[in-house]
Amino acid sequence: MTEDHVSARSAADADPRPATRWHLLRAVLVREFLITVRYPANAIGGIVVAVFFFGVLFYGGTLLAGRALADSLSGIVVGYFLWTLSVGAYSSISNDVGSEVQWGTLERHVTTPFGFTPVALIKGVAKVIRTFLTSAVVLAVMLLLTGTRLALDPITVVVIAGLAVTSVLGLGFAAGGLTVLYKRVGTWLNLLQFGFVVLVSAPVFDAPWLRVLPLAHGSALLQRAMVDGVRLWQFSLGDLALLVAVAGVYLAGGYAVFHYATRRARRLGVLGDY
Amino acid sequence: MGTERGYIPVQPVPIPMARNAASAQDQAAGGSTVEETTADGLAVEETTADGSTTDGSTADPALVVDGVSKRYGTGEGSVLAVDDVSLTVERGAVVGLLGPNGAGKTTLIKSILGTVLPDAGTIRLFGTDVRADRRAAYADVDAMLEGARNDYWRLTVRENLRYFATIGGVDPDSVAARHDRLLDRLGLADEADTPVRDLSRGMKQKVSLASVLAGGASLVFLDEPTLGLDVESARVLRREIRRLAREEGLTVLLSTHDMPTVEAVCDRVVLLADGRIVADDAPNALLSAAGRGVTRVASPDLDHSVVAALRDRFSVEVVDRPDASGSDGRAVVEVDASGDDLYALLDVLREQRVTPTEVRTVTPDLEDVFLDITDGGQSR
Repeated sequence: MTEDHVSARSAADADPRPATRWHLLRAVLVREFLITVRYPANAIGGIVVAVFFFGVLFYGGTLLAGRALADSLSGIVVGYFLWTLSVGAYSSISNDVGSEVQWGTLERHVTTPFGFTPVALIKGVAKVIRTFLTSAVVLAVMLLLTGTRLALDPITVVVIAGLAVTSVLGLGFAAGGLTVLYKRVGTWLNLLQFGFVVLVSAPVFDAPWLRVLPLAHGSALLQRAMVDGVRLWQFSLGDLALLVAVAGVYLAGGYAVFHYATRRARRLGVLGDY
Repeated sequence: MGTERGYIPVQPVPIPMARNAASAQDQAAGGSTVEETTADGLAVEETTADGSTTDGSTADPALVVDGVSKRYGTGEGSVLAVDDVSLTVERGAVVGLLGPNGAGKTTLIKSILGTVLPDAGTIRLFGTDVRADRRAAYADVDAMLEGARNDYWRLTVRENLRYFATIGGVDPDSVAARHDRLLDRLGLADEADTPVRDLSRGMKQKVSLASVLAGGASLVFLDEPTLGLDVESARVLRREIRRLAREEGLTVLLSTHDMPTVEAVCDRVVLLADGRIVADDAPNALLSAAGRGVTRVASPDLDHSVVAALRDRFSVEVVDRPDASGSDGRAVVEVDASGDDLYALLDVLREQRVTPTEVRTVTPDLEDVFLDITDGGQSR
């Protein structure tokens, strides 16, 4: 926003100041925080369901595999943590677009003078932050439940997991775009989240090309960070560069799909319809 | 009434008169205004046809739509929703956009807002082409397109105002006082800290309007703003729209089927039918063009011979017959007579020994005009 825009506004406000990107960031984060705190059922429900399925996995696996499961438990905990993080980020982005359409608020974000791109990205960041908090609770419960010990260097975990999830964020934007265009397809796109299990557990050491897929390389690095205690600065530059590149490419690609889909929806006149 | 009574839709001509075309920007530039007072007590400022004020300063119109068309689909099944529409809205004007369902109102508004991409034509907001600089064009614009479903129901009323002020490009802290005034004037002050989902439909509608006005946009699009409101709430909302236009130079494009709202707040009416503008004028001018009123006569004595005698002198429409259910044995006719013709009408009734139980002048309202233009009065 420029001063000129604000100066053209109503004379009734003595000094309406232009909002900056900081105000936008604050507004979106505060909105996300208020909704989470005021209506915690969704967040708590997500945590309970995630812990429940992990419990089934853990106790069921212990009964079936016994000692063999205990040997790989740390890896399972890390993989499950990343999966819950990915599912939360993906579904919150893709479902959020559908919700905004239903609420009639999507069009107001499309016409904002900030442009829809920064608004959508900030909303994505807000969703990831919220998902980090709920997944952290799930991780804590898993550690207590299994007695597993992991290296939890906050900077390393947040950066590696954050970049890994960024690629999923791109998939969420793409799914959101398709939801804008085809509406009811959103329900089917949610099934994609089960495919994240395959990506999180992809055998990247046996097939290095798998590292270019979303989550796969990030999952491998996160395993090393949390299970082996490797710190962020101890990773090779190549590993970190690939992590950043994969995150950037999928985010940009997903957003490009979203942008194309919303433009096509505007062409077809179905942007705000549901 | 109807087209058979000689109503001729006016050609779409923008009215070169705005209630208060002086924006804060204009006033800051030192522009003086020439004010006069309309019959409804509103101060207006004269502008010339090219949009310049009478003191010589120029200000781009709030909205210029030029040759906009939009077709949905392709081939035989396609629908031409908006057909070569051109429209200019001066700053500070309150313009009613009317038309039957499917006339193209929503597509036109969404095309202006950019949520629908038109196939042809240009749109300028405050002089800025929306395709050339989208962000600048929409910097001073907001819209209420979905009625009550236009904000976040899980947030409180005040939180919604703050959020949408920010989204609209204004630091919410700097317009906090404006929010207080808005809440007060719209009767929402007591509900300021209540989540929107806990409010009634009418209150939600008012919150929706308040959130659109929260950032102080100079041009707002309101789609059915009074839908679902009770009589008192609708009156409050109409009063607020008028006040904002008069005191703050707010420009409003209002799409509605609520004729009392149109008559109360609009100083110009644009009628759409089949995607085209079929009338564009001030409400009073449309009413004048619709013709004078008719006189409704009810009596049990209105038999065929009386009607024939009336038809020798006047255009007569039989509205109700004595044998019709609910007629109370009376016939009711509408006679194209008003003013001095009334004496002649009474003379004929006296000659025919008719004892009227009711003689009433019926003047056309905007709803009649609307129906006359859109379907030739067939639905009335």
